[in-house]
Amino acid sequence: MARKYREVGKAGWGYTALTTVVGFIYFFPVFWIILTAFKTRTDALAVPPKLFFTPTLDNFYSVFFRTSITTGNSQATDMGLYFFNSIFIAFTAVGFAVIVGTLAAYAFSRYPLRGNDTYLFIILTTRMMPPIVVIIPIFLMFRISGLAGSYWGIMLLYTAFNIPFSVWLVKSFFDELNPEIEDAARMDGSTERRVFFGFCIPQILAGLAATFVFGLILTWNEFLFALLLTGVDTRTVPVAMARTLGGEVGVDYGLLAAIVTLFLIPIFFVTFLLQNQLLRGVTFGTVKK
Amino acid sequence: MTDHTGTRRGFGAWLMDPKRRGALLVTPAIVILFVMNIFPLLWSFGLSFFNYKATSQRVPTFKGLSNYEKVLTDERTWERFQTTALIVSSSVILQLIVGFLLALLFAKAFPMRRIVLMLVLTPMMLSFVSVGVFFKLFYEPTFGIVSYVLNFFTTEHFVMLATPAGAIAGIVIADAWMWSPFVMLLVLAGLVSVPKYLYEAAEVDRASKWRTFWTITFPYIKSLLLLAVLFRTIETFKLFDIVYIITEGGPGSATETIAVFLYRNAFQFFKTSHSSALAYIVLFIVIVLTNLYLYSVNRRAEEVD
Amino acid sequence: MKKRNYISGLMGATLLSVGLSTVPALSADITITMAAPDWPPTRFMKEHFDQTYTSPDGHTTTLEMDFIPWPSFYERVAASLTSGEQKYQMIVTDSQWLGAFVEGGYYMDLTDKINADPELTAIMQDLHPALVSSYSTYPHRTRAQLEEAGVVPAPGVSYYGFPQFPDTYVTFYRNDVFCNEGEMAAFEAKYGTNLPCSYEDWQDTDWTKWGQIGEFFKRKKGEMLAGEVLDDDFYGIAYQAGKGYDFSSMQINAFVWQQGGDIWDESKAPTAQAEGVVNSDVAVKAFEEYLSLLQYMPPVAKTGQMDIFVEQDLFMQGKVGAIIDWVGLGEPVLDPSASKVHDKAAFGPAPGSRQADGSIDRTGNIGGQPFVLTTWNDDAVVDEALNVVKWWLSPDTQLEAVANGGQSGLKSVMADPGYNELRPWNRAHVEMIDWQKDVWHVPEFFELLTQQQEEFDKAITGQITAKEALDSIAAFQQELLEDVDLIQN
Repeated sequence: MARKYREVGKAGWGYTALTTVVGFIYFFPVFWIILTAFKTRTDALAVPPKLFFTPTLDNFYSVFFRTSITTGNSQATDMGLYFFNSIFIAFTAVGFAVIVGTLAAYAFSRYPLRGNDTYLFIILTTRMMPPIVVIIPIFLMFRISGLAGSYWGIMLLYTAFNIPFSVWLVKSFFDELNPEIEDAARMDGSTERRVFFGFCIPQILAGLAATFVFGLILTWNEFLFALLLTGVDTRTVPVAMARTLGGEVGVDYGLLAAIVTLFLIPIFFVTFLLQNQLLRGVTFGTVKK
Repeated sequence: MTDHTGTRRGFGAWLMDPKRRGALLVTPAIVILFVMNIFPLLWSFGLSFFNYKATSQRVPTFKGLSNYEKVLTDERTWERFQTTALIVSSSVILQLIVGFLLALLFAKAFPMRRIVLMLVLTPMMLSFVSVGVFFKLFYEPTFGIVSYVLNFFTTEHFVMLATPAGAIAGIVIADAWMWSPFVMLLVLAGLVSVPKYLYEAAEVDRASKWRTFWTITFPYIKSLLLLAVLFRTIETFKLFDIVYIITEGGPGSATETIAVFLYRNAFQFFKTSHSSALAYIVLFIVIVLTNLYLYSVNRRAEEVD
Repeated sequence: MKKRNYISGLMGATLLSVGLSTVPALSADITITMAAPDWPPTRFMKEHFDQTYTSPDGHTTTLEMDFIPWPSFYERVAASLTSGEQKYQMIVTDSQWLGAFVEGGYYMDLTDKINADPELTAIMQDLHPALVSSYSTYPHRTRAQLEEAGVVPAPGVSYYGFPQFPDTYVTFYRNDVFCNEGEMAAFEAKYGTNLPCSYEDWQDTDWTKWGQIGEFFKRKKGEMLAGEVLDDDFYGIAYQAGKGYDFSSMQINAFVWQQGGDIWDESKAPTAQAEGVVNSDVAVKAFEEYLSLLQYMPPVAKTGQMDIFVEQDLFMQGKVGAIIDWVGLGEPVLDPSASKVHDKAAFGPAPGSRQADGSIDRTGNIGGQPFVLTTWNDDAVVDEALNVVKWWLSPDTQLEAVANGGQSGLKSVMADPGYNELRPWNRAHVEMIDWQKDVWHVPEFFELLTQQQEEFDKAITGQITAKEALDSIAAFQQELLEDVDLIQN
């Protein structure tokens, strides 16, 4: 259930100015990255560092097009595909994880199994271990199943990656609902299905949205699994981004910044829209107010 | 209140039968987790008792606990754990301080708060790779902005990453910058949950601000702070990309964390079994930390109820 | 012991599938998927292939390149190979990975194919022997051992790879600084020797002079350089001294070899030792000389992060007068949008150690990449892949590649009268290629390298001395190599 912060005291525009200054200092590295996206290589490495310069859109152009070596024509870089892949894989996997997680969360909340807490603990543990721990066996497993390089493989993995978080978070939303209302509905002859879809789900829609956004933030920038388990057609942006980190030159700061900037836009707006649910999300639902 | 037939006996109703409802609803999640997570874990647990190497055609043989023995007697392992502990503790402490201060700042309601708050929340959304690359550039003594600014006060170029202490500081600052907003959100939750009447009572008593803070505010955020510590500890334990990009574990091995060490063993040296054993030791530590975390969560739940 | 059977069965599957599905050599649609780092020399290969390749066997052949970002290239390839996904038919590889992936059963032994095919034999004979030794042989054979055999291919030697991009390091320098009359006179007055300006001057440059250049050009902001006031600190020299990958070993090996020291010599396994060789007095002295020159380099050298890209950037942004870097990183230096010195950059051979007879030893550690075939392809694919090899190593293709920023390892191409004019570093590259040796190719290479880089880095950042570093490296290598029976006493 969405709740606004109950703020401690109120302040005026003067306070806004103060926080803006502090906020901007904090934001400065991000600001610098965004500025760099509009710089040429020599501007990006200028001494002293340049705050004012003639902006160029070349980097953004280079995100999607490169110049052919033999003919000098421009070719697509497939970055469009990688943006699609990132969005498709992340949204599908996180969406699926939220659905599966919601079902499980409802059960954990309303129909505790024997050893309920043990299940919940094991689920949480799988999320908290360093990804590097599972990558070796997952690799060996993908080697047999033929999942390597397919959309299915990486989506299943990301789904598994997001389930623990979804279960814990959504369970806390269910726990907060008043069971008496549900019981009253049952007394009135509602089916369990109707209790679930008609009463419970509508009340936690905002919570589900927050769960979705949090999953998205965690999945959006995932690098290691994506590097090792996607193929050339299913590659995601964080992997493709690595092409700016060294080849014929070292880091292509402008190009990297341009990709980072573009890649930030979707997640920034989704976060902004669901900011009020953030608080609950970050703690995996274990913190209740 | 509804025209739905509560007596119909279809598949849905069977599914919703109270006897198996819970188990059924949990099944999809458990199956996916088992296939993608638990099964691979058990597999690598098995591997950790062999001498399997992914770049060798030799048939693996059973070695019992010898991989664990090797890992635990290798002094490099302990060095890496110490480095990790140092980085984790300094980063988490810094995150707590910065996150706490930010929370105090943003606890009040003020115009445009949602927008200004976004300035602080954005670092969490960046990829580790880009944070690593740009902080490395900031620290670079010739091109970097840090060295440029400090150069107003010194004659020599300031070289951040030349010493073990400087390199650790460089990593800690980047990581703490990225994740302090997380702590801020938790503390914010604590601050806004303090019942207003307590503050009003304190005002009547003419208690000093400091005293008000310690006796009223702090108890409400105490357990949340503990949560933040544990949560960030677990997360920072995984720290890999930022270290790998900013220092590659250097100078020497001064910033080589356990995650980097594990990565090298698994993917560069292909000591598959050996690294599985190391991974299990890491997992054991993470489970202990997770337990601590849950213990503190439960304690908080009891306090609130 | 179920587990055990399972795993070995898994590995067996990798080998078994090689024998399956043999297709008769009729004209067919063949797709060759090649793992390649994402950079211009491989991009060129793909583009040029699409424009010019026709299969001599009448196949319709597609070369699919999986362009992988350089920084993740090794991990991605290693992961693909060891996971058994059998995705690639050809792979661009660092020469050092040969051992690990040959032993893993992933790279194909081409010796019989080369022996059976006069065209391939001719190519092997035309390839520079330093490249054949470094890029193709496993177990590793040195150039001397190959030349001793007198025939190519040498009997009893296994061949694997062909050059995709043979790379050497050369000197990149600023001719506006080094050919400035005022600076030249001042240098001459101070050191009694000339400041190298022309290519021939660089041919006579040893580490002593390299150090003098470093000392001479270390200037503060506000001081003069070539008649102009500096707006930032300036430095004379830089070479690689970075912790990542092999970004210090490549240069340090050169110092050690040039002064008569050695690394653990895999071509003499299992009798060659690490202890006493790696940390010999000569090696320690050579490493000390390497370390002593770091003081003249830009401040990032103090962090142990002066990798091949950092020095390139410092050079391109006009912060340093001369660097030693890979030919493969030369192209951006000439690009006006990336480089402030694009019209001032010139190239010469890398400095070396002055020998007793006055000559200069420039022995260097080879860079670049060969490409190889994988083991799981049917005969039609293997034959067609070898056709691609022949196409790539044909003189026309090679000259075209060189004109587009590539490099060739063929003696006939390097002897082409137009070759030196194609790219400004070509003359230096040809001179340097004769001096090349390679670091180890054994499967344990990455472990050896990582430990060594770490110890080198400690010495570079002043945490330990040259002797301590080499002692630790020697002890580590001795123990590790004895463990895997590569050293037997």
